[in-house]
Amino acid sequence: MTLIGLDPTSGPLPEPVQRPAPRAASLEGAVVGVISNGLGESDRILQAVHRELSELGGTTGVVFVRKPSVSVPPDPMDWEKLISQVTVAVAGFGG
Amino acid sequence: MTTLQAPAHEYRDYAELLDDYYARGWTDGLPVVPPTPAAVEQFLAAAELAADTVLGAVPTREVVVTAEHAAINAVMAGCRPEYMPVVVAAVRAHLNEKANCHSVTGTLSGASQAVVINGPARLRLDVNCQAGCFGPGWRANATIGRALRLVVRNVCRAIPNFLDRASYSTPARYSFCFGEDEEGSSPWVPMSVERGVPVGTSAVTVHSVMTMSSALDLGSRTPEGVLDSVAAHIRTRGVATDEWLGIDNTVMLVMGPEHRRFLVEAGWSKDDARAYLFPRLKEGERPVRIGKPDGILIVGAGGPGMSETWVLFPHLAWAITEPVVPEPGGEP
Repeated sequence: MTLIGLDPTSGPLPEPVQRPAPRAASLEGAVVGVISNGLGESDRILQAVHRELSELGGTTGVVFVRKPSVSVPPDPMDWEKLISQVTVAVAGFGG
Repeated sequence: MTTLQAPAHEYRDYAELLDDYYARGWTDGLPVVPPTPAAVEQFLAAAELAADTVLGAVPTREVVVTAEHAAINAVMAGCRPEYMPVVVAAVRAHLNEKANCHSVTGTLSGASQAVVINGPARLRLDVNCQAGCFGPGWRANATIGRALRLVVRNVCRAIPNFLDRASYSTPARYSFCFGEDEEGSSPWVPMSVERGVPVGTSAVTVHSVMTMSSALDLGSRTPEGVLDSVAAHIRTRGVATDEWLGIDNTVMLVMGPEHRRFLVEAGWSKDDARAYLFPRLKEGERPVRIGKPDGILIVGAGGPGMSETWVLFPHLAWAITEPVVPEPGGEP
């Protein structure tokens, strides 16, 4: 006599993405997004990155986004801003 | 009753099923009960739910959790069918937006999910609320907590080294379920009633626990003395929260019989304890980030012998309370 067992999952797992996003060849003309998750000293270091990028020249703009929580995605309006305006993004967190 | 949707697999015997479920990553490492279609249908019937009833979702993982998912994993965990309404309430609570499933099950800190049961279901299902209530030995405690964790793993995809990124994790992730000793805490108001569930209705509160430790105080004999010790203990670690969680964040105190007795005999209610604790948590240069007195949840549980209160420090989530529907064993 055989035994039937049901699959307990919500479906197959997606293939994990192991590779980093391709590095931009240049920041010339780029609009840079800086996304802080708010953990630890991330605000401080990413504000510094924001400032450096703003002063660097060559970029056409920098958009700074701070997530409302370390544990949730950016607000929908911030997502929209990133998607519609940004060509290169830097995300980070700090301990 | 809707048709079951889960793919079915056929095995020669239990040993083959067990090996295959483990190989597929569908277990917590311990043996599971085979989730046969008949058993799953029986669990759904016990909860009076159609298989496709949606219990909640994890949007960041593109996961929707149905009653069928919960039933399959509850069978696997070793639950009895009559536990199913409690498991459903726990799953609903865990999937509340502010219970923050994505964060609390993915965090490096390895938070666990404490499932606290109130009301008549505790007695009907033999949920341990007293000595040993955090540990092994009671089927309801062991399997209800395990069922939630299997849902978290199998349905919500919190698989170690995949979406579960815990540095160490914790044995409390096998199972962490206990009841409030409502009878032993009389005349205190049960936690579920304080949180809006009618008296006599069973309820489940799910609280995600980043760390837990004992505020041991063998010497104090007064409410003030006990609560000063508890406040000092909470202040050593603080409470995780942020803007998104807002002021409704929670920390849970599980108070043992000795500490409870000193408060009850002096006529202190849970509200009195909160009123005393709250300003003591907020004072000083580094106040505890708890938004309001109601955020201090007090549960009477545990056995005698150690004058202690366990503090269940939260991860980035609220404790969420859900009524158990239907009542296991019928209306009380």
